[in-house]
Amino acid sequence: MLLTLGIIGILYVGILVLLALRARTDVKSSNSYLLGGSNLGAVIGFFTFAATLFSTFTLLGMPDFFRVHGIGAWIFLMISDAVMVFGLIWIGYELRKKARKTNYLGMSGFLELNYKSRFAGIVAFIGVFIFLLPYIAIQIRGVAIFLHATFPEALPMWAWAAAIVAVMIIYSEIGGLKAIMYSDVLQGILLLVAIWIVGYNCLHHFGGVTAMFEEVEKVNSALLSVPGPKGLFDFQFLLGSMIAIVLLPYTQPQVSTRIVILKDIKSLHKMAIGIGFFAILVILPTAFMGMYGAVLYPDASTSEFLNMTFISDQSNLIGAIVMIGLIAAAISTSDSQLFALGGELRSILKGDDEKMVFLARIGIAVFAISSLIFALLTSDELVLLARTSFAGTSLLAPMIFTGIFYKNAPNLTVIPMVTLVALIIFVASLLNFIPNHFLGIRMDLTLLAIMTLFALVCIYTDRSKRGGAIEN
Amino acid sequence: MTNERIWTLCKIAVVILIILTFTPLVTPSGIHKPAFMGLPYTLWVGILEAFLLVGITWLATIVHSGRHEE
Repeated sequence: MLLTLGIIGILYVGILVLLALRARTDVKSSNSYLLGGSNLGAVIGFFTFAATLFSTFTLLGMPDFFRVHGIGAWIFLMISDAVMVFGLIWIGYELRKKARKTNYLGMSGFLELNYKSRFAGIVAFIGVFIFLLPYIAIQIRGVAIFLHATFPEALPMWAWAAAIVAVMIIYSEIGGLKAIMYSDVLQGILLLVAIWIVGYNCLHHFGGVTAMFEEVEKVNSALLSVPGPKGLFDFQFLLGSMIAIVLLPYTQPQVSTRIVILKDIKSLHKMAIGIGFFAILVILPTAFMGMYGAVLYPDASTSEFLNMTFISDQSNLIGAIVMIGLIAAAISTSDSQLFALGGELRSILKGDDEKMVFLARIGIAVFAISSLIFALLTSDELVLLARTSFAGTSLLAPMIFTGIFYKNAPNLTVIPMVTLVALIIFVASLLNFIPNHFLGIRMDLTLLAIMTLFALVCIYTDRSKRGGAIEN
Repeated sequence: MTNERIWTLCKIAVVILIILTFTPLVTPSGIHKPAFMGLPYTLWVGILEAFLLVGITWLATIVHSGRHEE
């Protein structure tokens, strides 16, 4: 196993080095280094969007989510992703139209420009920083616990995590966003291949779909419907998740940046349809893996289940491909997120471009180390942590949409202030300082509803006073 | 039918599908039958819905007013 892994690993790293060198540029301007030249075609756009979106959370988290909570996981992620894809054609188009008229470097700077308020940019940066960190951390932790479970004698968990972060920092430092996007093509293909090989093998174990679900019914029939055995997939959870995921392209900078830097609308359209099909192709086999685990390893821990399903029950070659696929998935998503954080930092910095890019690069290293610390301290509930990240950044949506689409946003700087309060309340509820439900409604949904209502009231009042207009 | 009208219909169709997702038509509580090709009810209806949503998105890209821009 180690020999096979070594050979495939060397091949993988070799290709990564070639891609990084190809993308390397001596001139590190904001546009070339942080935005990859802002001229992304449909194919690279599709792969980089897919690799950023579907990550360790999908490859490791979703099988475990299906295993523990049942087939409602399909509604949780796939339907939400499909609605998100439609949103790209509608809202994504509007975002692009607005952003391409400016010197877009990141959502924080863009909001600062639209609100004509530095505070708005800082609030956006704080929100993104707080809620992207756990998302980056779960990628690192997911792979680190998996590698540690597979090779318990080789390295401690923290050392695996540190090694992954080191690769990410070195790689993105050399090649910038362009290198990340090139590598995303490789990682996206690896992810799809790995996920289907294991998914097919899981299905093959039972002899087909019908036999598999018959076995699951015998073990735990609650897995075959919502809300699932633990009652997780209730209306509020599914609705809150859908809203958070649909808003993701506008509230998570690693995704919004990719929409803005696509070279034209046709590329956006092709990419959106591609992502829709890719989501179906990626999520479906994770359901097979989850059902396989529900029958064979119902009481195993997350890491035991993953180790058995992905490695022990597979041949050496497949196990090695899966492992490289996993590392690739984690790196592709995490470095995109780290880079996005760097871009956000750059977008609110003022001064000589070369110096500011240098500061952003230092910022990327600091964010990476912060993620590593978070990864070592956080829990193994990968999907729920990812969802917390989506829900947290979704609180920025009313501020973002008002800033982008309301012409007189500079009159409404109270919205960033209220957004900051909402972020603080949500964090307090996550830390159990205050209840995480309000009048029986989840705190993220409550805050998002209040923020949306507040933004609408502000716009209405301002329009009444000044005769402002919502731009198309 | 004009492109603008089809685009509006696409938006309406997506909203209807979203609403249906949270009704017993797609997510009946504690029910997994009737199955289709061995798939439990919510899963096969969910797969069908996902294909419908992606299909509507494809149609939307054809009729969207901004498709010839840039």
